[in-house]
Formats: sequence, structure tokens, C-alpha cells
Amino acid sequence: MRRRRRKADPYVPTTSMGDIAFLLIIFFMVCSNFAKEASQKLKPPKAADLQKIQESSISVSIDEQGLIYIQGANVPDEQAIEYGVEALIKDRATEQGRTVMFKCDKSVPREVFEPVIEAISKAGGIIAAMGDPLKENDK
Amino acid sequence: MSRLKKFKKTQLSDADIPTASFSDVAFLLNIFFILTATLVQPTGFHADIPAGEQGQAQEQKMPTVALSADGKIIYNDSPVSMKQLRAMLREADLPNKLPDSRTVLLTASGNVPYQDYFETMSVISSAGGLVAIMREPRKEAGK
Repeated sequence: MRRRRRKADPYVPTTSMGDIAFLLIIFFMVCSNFAKEASQKLKPPKAADLQKIQESSISVSIDEQGLIYIQGANVPDEQAIEYGVEALIKDRATEQGRTVMFKCDKSVPREVFEPVIEAISKAGGIIAAMGDPLKENDK
Repeated sequence: MSRLKKFKKTQLSDADIPTASFSDVAFLLNIFFILTATLVQPTGFHADIPAGEQGQAQEQKMPTVALSADGKIIYNDSPVSMKQLRAMLREADLPNKLPDSRTVLLTASGNVPYQDYFETMSVISSAGGLVAIMREPRKEAGK
């Protein structure tokens, strides 16, 4: 008479799962750009002729109160934007490296945004003006 | 004495950090990062604005778009709608011209909101034009 072998309990090895998960977390943290403008209140403008653009690491924004920010930090005037952008793009030769993401609230008057746009171009930056695409309902 | 004996007999259990829930915590963090990551690519347009010095003389007649605070668009001295401006700029065939001839002057009067400015700039850029901003010189205080 043959004795039946006892089957081993099915077992999924999970010891390295934690290690893999933590490695994934480190990957996400290193690769992600944390939102610098989270605290700024601004309604982006809308237009029909927009295209998808690649994100850049330099950002300039103006909120609904007309406050100017560079890399998420509030600055007093356009002069600071010019110096800031100039310093940030100093060692960047590529077009993508010189691109500055420009976000501005749609209601901000000309006196506020025009000098900022001019300061960015004076510093040698290429402006990537951000906005939302115009939908059928918006028309 | 009897107490000491009792103490000696007690065996210390092996030090062990419970790691069973580590992977659960880590995967929850992963889910958080995946959900909060920006998967949507931003939309906009690239505007290569030539950095001209103030007071630089205009050598040739450039196409000019003027915006007024009441929402009017004036292209080369004639009022147009946004649709007409788009069609006129496309007709001008700017991408096939030399960079100097591709420049479109953008000027605004009064408190034009950024929405109007943005829309006009996007139309010029999508037609292959280079936006050049024309500004009035700043008035010094007290003058």
C-alpha cells in the first residue's frame, strides 16, 4: 500500500513585497514635480488654438489678486522675475530648458501681466502660456 | 533567593519587529502617489517674444493687432472679430516667411484683461507668427 504524500500548504512569498513597494515610492518621489502653485488662486484663460505642451521646471504665475510668483515663491515686481528667470536658465542651452511656464488669472489687467511677460523674454526665456482649451459649452 | 531563581528561568523572547503590514502601508502610499500625480498634459502655446529694447525704431511696417478694454480687436487699423483675425493671419502664410516678416505687433490700451490678450496671442502663435509686445513707455511719478 502506498502512502499518500501530504500536500504542502499553498504559500505566496510576500517578504519582498514591502521592499518592492518602497522602491516604487522612492521612484515616484524622485520623478514627480510637486505642485508649487497649490496655494495660488487663479482661473486660467481659455482659447481654441491650444496644443499640448511639455511641462518645464521653471514656472511664473500671477494670481487673481495680481501677486507675482516664481517657482511658487511670491516676488515684489517684474524685476525680480527677470533676475530669477535669468539665473534659472543660465546654464541651459536647449529650447526646453529655457521654457518658462506662464500661468496668469484671466481677469488680471494689462498693467500687471505685460511687464512680467516682457521680463521673461528679456531674461531669455521662451514663454509657454498656459490655459484651458475652449469647449463647446464655453462658446 | 527564590525570586532570583524565578527570574533566571524566564527566557527572553527573540526581538522581532512586526513587518507584516509594511507592504500594505507602502502600497497605500503608492496608490496615493499615483492618484495625485498629474497625468493630464498641460495645454497652452509657445510664444517666442523677441526682446526688443525700448525706443527701438520700427524698420518696416509690421502687421499690428490692437486690443481695447471693451473687447474690440483692430487688425491693421480695421476692426475685426477673433474669427476674422484667425483667417487673416492664416491667409498671410506666416510660417513660410523669414523670422523678421513673421513678427506681429500686439498692443493694448486700457485695462485689457489677460483672457483677451491670451486668446489673441494664441491665434497669432497658432498662425505661425512671433508676438512682439508694444508698450507705452512708463510714466515717471510726478511728471
